Amino acid sequence: MIFWTTLLVIHGLFALALLGAITHQSAALWWSVRDRAGSFVARFRAVPGTPYVTAIILLYVITFILGAWIYTQYRFTARVALEQLRFFRTVGVFELKEHLATIGSIVLPAYWTYWRQPLTQDYANARRHVSLLLAILVWCNFQIGHVVNNARGMGS
Amino acid sequence: MNSSDKIPVFALVFGIAYAVIYVICTELNLPLLTYNPAIVEVGILWQPLKSGPAMYWYGWMLTSALGALAVAFIAIAIPEPWLQRLITFGCVAATAYLVLYTLALFIYDNATVELGFLQSRWLSAAAAVVVAAILSALVPS
Repeated sequence: MIFWTTLLVIHGLFALALLGAITHQSAALWWSVRDRAGSFVARFRAVPGTPYVTAIILLYVITFILGAWIYTQYRFTARVALEQLRFFRTVGVFELKEHLATIGSIVLPAYWTYWRQPLTQDYANARRHVSLLLAILVWCNFQIGHVVNNARGMGS
Repeated sequence: MNSSDKIPVFALVFGIAYAVIYVICTELNLPLLTYNPAIVEVGILWQPLKSGPAMYWYGWMLTSALGALAVAFIAIAIPEPWLQRLITFGCVAATAYLVLYTLALFIYDNATVELGFLQSRWLSAAAAVVVAAILSALVPS
Protein backbone atom coordinates (compact mmCIF):
# COMPACT_ATOMS: atom_id res chain seq x y z
CA MET A 1 0.00 0.00 0.00
CA ILE A 2 2.98 2.33 0.63
CA PHE A 3 3.83 2.09 -3.07
CA TRP A 4 0.36 3.21 -4.18
CA THR A 5 0.18 5.96 -1.56
CA THR A 6 3.56 7.28 -2.72
CA LEU A 7 2.39 7.15 -6.32
CA LEU A 8 -0.78 9.03 -5.35
CA VAL A 9 1.25 11.74 -3.62
CA ILE A 10 3.50 12.10 -6.71
CA HIS A 11 0.38 12.24 -8.91
CA GLY A 12 -0.98 14.96 -6.66
CA LEU A 13 2.24 16.97 -6.82
CA PHE A 14 2.32 16.83 -10.63
CA ALA A 15 -1.35 17.79 -10.68
CA LEU A 16 -0.62 20.76 -8.44
CA ALA A 17 2.20 21.94 -10.73
CA LEU A 18 -0.10 21.52 -13.74
CA LEU A 19 -2.86 23.45 -12.00
CA GLY A 20 -0.49 26.31 -11.25
CA ALA A 21 0.90 26.46 -14.78
CA ILE A 22 -2.45 26.29 -16.61
CA THR A 23 -4.05 28.80 -14.23
CA HIS A 24 -1.15 31.18 -14.69
CA GLN A 25 -1.33 30.89 -18.47
CA SER A 26 -5.13 31.27 -18.61
CA ALA A 27 -5.11 34.28 -16.30
CA ALA A 28 -2.46 35.92 -18.48
CA LEU A 29 -4.56 35.21 -21.60
CA TRP A 30 -7.99 36.23 -20.34
CA TRP A 31 -7.06 38.94 -17.88
CA SER A 32 -3.85 40.28 -19.32
CA VAL A 33 -2.07 43.50 -18.42
CA ARG A 34 0.76 45.13 -20.34
CA ASP A 35 2.55 46.70 -17.42
CA ARG A 36 4.53 44.14 -15.44
CA ALA A 37 5.17 46.51 -12.57
CA GLY A 38 2.79 46.75 -9.70
CA SER A 39 1.12 44.29 -7.37
CA PHE A 40 1.59 40.53 -7.21
CA VAL A 41 -1.68 40.08 -9.12
CA ALA A 42 -0.52 42.40 -11.92
CA ARG A 43 2.74 40.45 -12.24
CA PHE A 44 0.76 37.20 -12.24
CA ARG A 45 -1.37 38.48 -15.13
CA ALA A 46 1.52 39.91 -17.14
CA VAL A 47 3.42 36.68 -17.87
CA PRO A 48 3.79 35.51 -21.49
CA GLY A 49 1.85 32.27 -22.09
CA THR A 50 4.20 30.63 -24.59
CA PRO A 51 6.90 29.31 -22.19
CA TYR A 52 4.24 27.35 -20.30
CA VAL A 53 3.04 25.28 -23.27
CA THR A 54 5.59 22.45 -23.26
CA ALA A 55 5.53 22.25 -19.46
CA ILE A 56 1.71 22.05 -19.43
CA ILE A 57 1.63 19.30 -22.06
CA LEU A 58 4.33 17.27 -20.29
CA LEU A 59 2.74 17.75 -16.87
CA TYR A 60 -0.67 16.76 -18.23
CA VAL A 61 0.68 13.60 -19.86
CA ILE A 62 2.66 12.56 -16.76
CA THR A 63 -0.28 13.31 -14.42
CA PHE A 64 -2.63 11.42 -16.73
CA ILE A 65 -0.39 8.34 -16.92
CA LEU A 66 0.13 8.27 -13.15
CA GLY A 67 -3.62 8.73 -12.58
CA ALA A 68 -4.47 5.95 -15.02
CA TRP A 69 -2.00 3.67 -13.22
CA ILE A 70 -3.35 4.44 -9.74
CA TYR A 71 -6.87 3.96 -11.08
CA THR A 72 -6.20 0.20 -11.41
CA GLN A 73 -5.64 -0.02 -7.65
CA TYR A 74 -8.52 2.35 -6.82
CA ARG A 75 -10.95 0.23 -8.85
CA PHE A 76 -10.81 -2.85 -6.64
CA THR A 77 -9.81 -1.34 -3.30
CA ALA A 78 -10.91 2.23 -2.55
CA ARG A 79 -13.94 2.13 -4.82
CA VAL A 80 -15.27 -1.10 -3.30
CA ALA A 81 -14.96 0.48 0.14
CA LEU A 82 -16.72 3.65 -1.03
CA GLU A 83 -19.58 1.55 -2.42
CA GLN A 84 -19.85 -0.41 0.83
CA LEU A 85 -20.04 2.91 2.68
CA ARG A 86 -22.77 3.93 0.19
CA PHE A 87 -20.74 6.93 -1.02
CA PHE A 88 -22.39 6.64 -4.42
CA ARG A 89 -22.08 10.34 -5.26
CA THR A 90 -18.35 10.20 -4.63
CA VAL A 91 -18.02 7.12 -6.82
CA GLY A 92 -20.17 8.77 -9.50
CA VAL A 93 -18.17 11.98 -9.52
CA PHE A 94 -14.97 9.95 -9.94
CA GLU A 95 -16.54 8.27 -12.99
CA LEU A 96 -16.90 11.81 -14.34
CA LYS A 97 -13.21 12.45 -13.66
CA GLU A 98 -12.09 9.63 -15.96
CA HIS A 99 -14.11 11.14 -18.82
CA LEU A 100 -12.91 14.69 -18.11
CA ALA A 101 -9.31 13.47 -18.06
CA THR A 102 -9.87 11.81 -21.44
CA ILE A 103 -11.37 14.99 -22.89
CA GLY A 104 -8.36 16.93 -21.61
CA SER A 105 -5.95 14.51 -23.26
CA ILE A 106 -7.68 14.79 -26.65
CA VAL A 107 -7.62 18.59 -26.43
CA LEU A 108 -3.80 18.51 -26.12
CA PRO A 109 -3.04 18.12 -29.88
CA ALA A 110 -5.22 21.15 -30.68
CA TYR A 111 -3.69 23.05 -27.74
CA TRP A 112 -0.17 22.33 -29.03
CA THR A 113 -1.16 23.26 -32.59
CA TYR A 114 -2.59 26.65 -31.63
CA TRP A 115 0.45 27.49 -29.52
CA ARG A 116 3.01 26.51 -32.17
CA GLN A 117 5.70 29.09 -32.94
CA PRO A 118 5.45 31.56 -34.56
CA LEU A 119 2.10 32.42 -32.96
CA THR A 120 -0.43 33.47 -35.59
CA GLN A 121 -3.14 36.03 -34.96
CA ASP A 122 -5.61 33.75 -36.81
CA TYR A 123 -5.55 31.35 -33.87
CA ALA A 124 -5.60 33.96 -31.10
CA ASN A 125 -9.21 33.25 -30.14
CA ALA A 126 -8.84 29.48 -30.50
CA ARG A 127 -5.74 29.66 -28.30
CA ARG A 128 -7.60 31.50 -25.58
CA HIS A 129 -10.57 29.14 -25.62
CA VAL A 130 -8.60 25.89 -25.78
CA SER A 131 -6.38 27.06 -22.92
CA LEU A 132 -9.43 28.00 -20.86
CA LEU A 133 -11.11 24.65 -21.59
CA LEU A 134 -7.97 22.82 -20.49
CA ALA A 135 -7.79 24.96 -17.34
CA ILE A 136 -11.44 24.18 -16.48
CA LEU A 137 -10.86 20.45 -17.02
CA VAL A 138 -7.72 20.46 -14.87
CA TRP A 139 -9.47 22.39 -12.09
CA CYS A 140 -12.48 20.03 -12.15
CA ASN A 141 -10.26 16.94 -12.05
CA PHE A 142 -8.14 18.37 -9.26
CA GLN A 143 -11.20 19.10 -7.15
CA ILE A 144 -12.77 15.69 -7.83
CA GLY A 145 -9.54 13.88 -6.99
CA HIS A 146 -9.27 15.86 -3.80
CA VAL A 147 -12.87 15.09 -2.78
CA VAL A 148 -12.48 11.37 -3.49
CA ASN A 149 -9.17 11.21 -1.64
CA ASN A 150 -10.72 12.95 1.34
CA ALA A 151 -13.72 10.62 1.32
CA ARG A 152 -11.57 7.57 1.75
CA GLY A 153 -8.13 7.95 0.29
CA MET A 154 -5.50 5.39 -0.56
CA GLY A 155 -3.95 3.90 2.52
CA SER A 156 -6.75 4.95 4.84
CA MET B 1 -4.32 22.16 -48.50
CA ASN B 2 -0.58 22.67 -47.91
CA SER B 3 1.46 20.84 -45.28
CA SER B 4 1.28 23.68 -42.72
CA ASP B 5 -2.55 23.66 -42.94
CA LYS B 6 -2.69 19.92 -42.41
CA ILE B 7 -1.42 19.99 -38.81
CA PRO B 8 -4.31 22.10 -37.39
CA VAL B 9 -6.82 20.11 -39.46
CA PHE B 10 -5.38 16.83 -38.20
CA ALA B 11 -5.38 18.00 -34.56
CA LEU B 12 -8.89 19.42 -34.71
CA VAL B 13 -10.46 16.48 -36.53
CA PHE B 14 -8.64 14.04 -34.24
CA GLY B 15 -10.14 15.76 -31.19
CA ILE B 16 -13.68 15.92 -32.56
CA ALA B 17 -13.61 12.35 -33.91
CA TYR B 18 -12.13 11.02 -30.67
CA ALA B 19 -14.89 12.66 -28.63
CA VAL B 20 -17.65 11.26 -30.84
CA ILE B 21 -16.17 7.74 -31.00
CA TYR B 22 -15.49 7.80 -27.25
CA VAL B 23 -19.15 8.58 -26.50
CA ILE B 24 -20.23 5.72 -28.78
CA CYS B 25 -17.70 3.36 -27.14
CA THR B 26 -18.88 4.20 -23.63
CA GLU B 27 -22.57 4.00 -24.55
CA LEU B 28 -22.31 0.71 -26.45
CA ASN B 29 -19.37 -0.62 -24.39
CA LEU B 30 -16.90 -1.22 -27.21
CA PRO B 31 -13.46 -1.55 -25.62
CA LEU B 32 -10.51 -2.82 -27.65
CA LEU B 33 -9.27 -4.49 -24.48
CA THR B 34 -10.50 -5.25 -20.98
CA TYR B 35 -8.33 -5.06 -17.88
CA ASN B 36 -9.00 -7.08 -14.75
CA PRO B 37 -7.02 -5.28 -12.02
CA ALA B 38 -7.58 -7.87 -9.31
CA ILE B 39 -5.87 -10.63 -11.30
CA VAL B 40 -3.71 -8.29 -13.45
CA GLU B 41 -5.00 -9.73 -16.72
CA VAL B 42 -5.61 -8.02 -20.04
CA GLY B 43 -8.16 -9.49 -22.44
CA ILE B 44 -8.84 -8.58 -26.04
CA LEU B 45 -12.14 -6.75 -26.75
CA TRP B 46 -14.99 -6.91 -24.22
CA GLN B 47 -14.58 -9.55 -21.53
CA PRO B 48 -17.11 -10.49 -18.84
CA LEU B 49 -16.37 -10.06 -15.12
CA LYS B 50 -13.91 -12.63 -13.81
CA SER B 51 -12.41 -12.22 -10.38
CA GLY B 52 -13.25 -8.70 -9.25
CA PRO B 53 -14.26 -5.74 -11.40
CA ALA B 54 -13.36 -5.33 -15.07
CA MET B 55 -12.02 -2.02 -16.40
CA TYR B 56 -13.09 -0.94 -19.86
CA TRP B 57 -11.86 2.69 -19.79
CA TYR B 58 -8.43 1.87 -21.24
CA GLY B 59 -10.11 -0.13 -23.99
CA TRP B 60 -12.52 2.68 -24.83
CA MET B 61 -9.61 5.12 -25.13
CA LEU B 62 -7.71 2.74 -27.38
CA THR B 63 -10.71 2.16 -29.64
CA SER B 64 -11.34 5.90 -29.83
CA ALA B 65 -7.68 6.72 -30.50
CA LEU B 66 -7.43 4.27 -33.41
CA GLY B 67 -10.75 5.42 -34.87
CA ALA B 68 -9.86 9.10 -34.47
CA LEU B 69 -6.43 8.58 -36.07
CA ALA B 70 -8.07 6.94 -39.08
CA VAL B 71 -10.63 9.77 -39.39
CA ALA B 72 -7.91 12.44 -39.00
CA PHE B 73 -5.76 10.87 -41.74
CA ILE B 74 -8.80 10.76 -44.05
CA ALA B 75 -9.54 14.41 -43.19
CA ILE B 76 -6.14 15.64 -44.35
CA ALA B 77 -6.46 13.64 -47.57
CA ILE B 78 -9.82 14.98 -48.77
CA PRO B 79 -10.51 18.47 -50.24
CA GLU B 80 -11.29 21.23 -47.71
CA PRO B 81 -14.90 21.95 -48.84
CA TRP B 82 -15.73 18.27 -48.25
CA LEU B 83 -14.08 18.40 -44.89
CA GLN B 84 -16.07 21.51 -43.89
CA ARG B 85 -19.28 19.73 -44.83
CA LEU B 86 -18.30 16.61 -42.92
CA ILE B 87 -17.45 18.60 -39.78
CA THR B 88 -20.80 20.42 -40.05
CA PHE B 89 -22.53 17.07 -40.56
CA GLY B 90 -20.81 15.52 -37.55
CA CYS B 91 -21.50 18.43 -35.20
CA VAL B 92 -25.15 18.76 -36.28
CA ALA B 93 -25.68 14.98 -36.05
CA ALA B 94 -24.25 14.85 -32.51
CA THR B 95 -26.37 17.82 -31.35
CA ALA B 96 -29.50 16.53 -33.11
CA TYR B 97 -29.07 13.09 -31.52
CA LEU B 98 -28.78 14.63 -28.06
CA VAL B 99 -31.87 16.81 -28.58
CA LEU B 100 -33.99 14.13 -30.27
CA TYR B 101 -33.16 11.34 -27.82
CA THR B 102 -33.82 13.62 -24.83
CA LEU B 103 -37.12 14.68 -26.43
CA ALA B 104 -38.07 11.06 -27.16
CA LEU B 105 -37.41 10.02 -23.56
CA PHE B 106 -39.33 13.04 -22.27
CA ILE B 107 -42.35 12.11 -24.42
CA TYR B 108 -42.04 8.45 -23.36
CA ASP B 109 -42.03 9.41 -19.68
CA ASN B 110 -45.04 11.72 -19.99
CA ALA B 111 -47.17 9.84 -22.52
CA THR B 112 -50.39 8.22 -21.28
CA VAL B 113 -49.94 5.29 -23.68
CA GLU B 114 -47.01 2.90 -23.98
CA LEU B 115 -44.61 4.19 -26.67
CA GLY B 116 -41.75 1.75 -26.21
CA PHE B 117 -40.16 2.49 -29.58
CA LEU B 118 -39.18 5.95 -28.32
CA GLN B 119 -36.64 4.29 -26.04
CA SER B 120 -34.69 3.02 -29.04
CA ARG B 121 -31.39 4.84 -29.53
CA TRP B 122 -31.30 3.76 -33.17
CA LEU B 123 -34.48 5.66 -34.02
CA SER B 124 -33.06 8.91 -32.61
CA ALA B 125 -29.71 8.23 -34.28
CA ALA B 126 -31.37 7.68 -37.67
CA ALA B 127 -33.45 10.85 -37.28
CA ALA B 128 -30.31 12.79 -36.29
CA VAL B 129 -28.48 11.58 -39.40
CA VAL B 130 -31.39 12.73 -41.60
CA VAL B 131 -31.49 16.16 -39.89
CA ALA B 132 -27.70 16.51 -40.23
CA ALA B 133 -27.76 15.49 -43.89
CA ILE B 134 -30.43 18.09 -44.70
CA LEU B 135 -28.77 20.88 -42.74
CA SER B 136 -25.26 20.21 -44.02
CA ALA B 137 -26.61 20.18 -47.59
CA LEU B 138 -28.23 23.58 -47.01
CA VAL B 139 -25.13 25.19 -45.52
CA PRO B 140 -23.17 27.00 -48.28
CA SER B 141 -19.67 25.64 -48.81
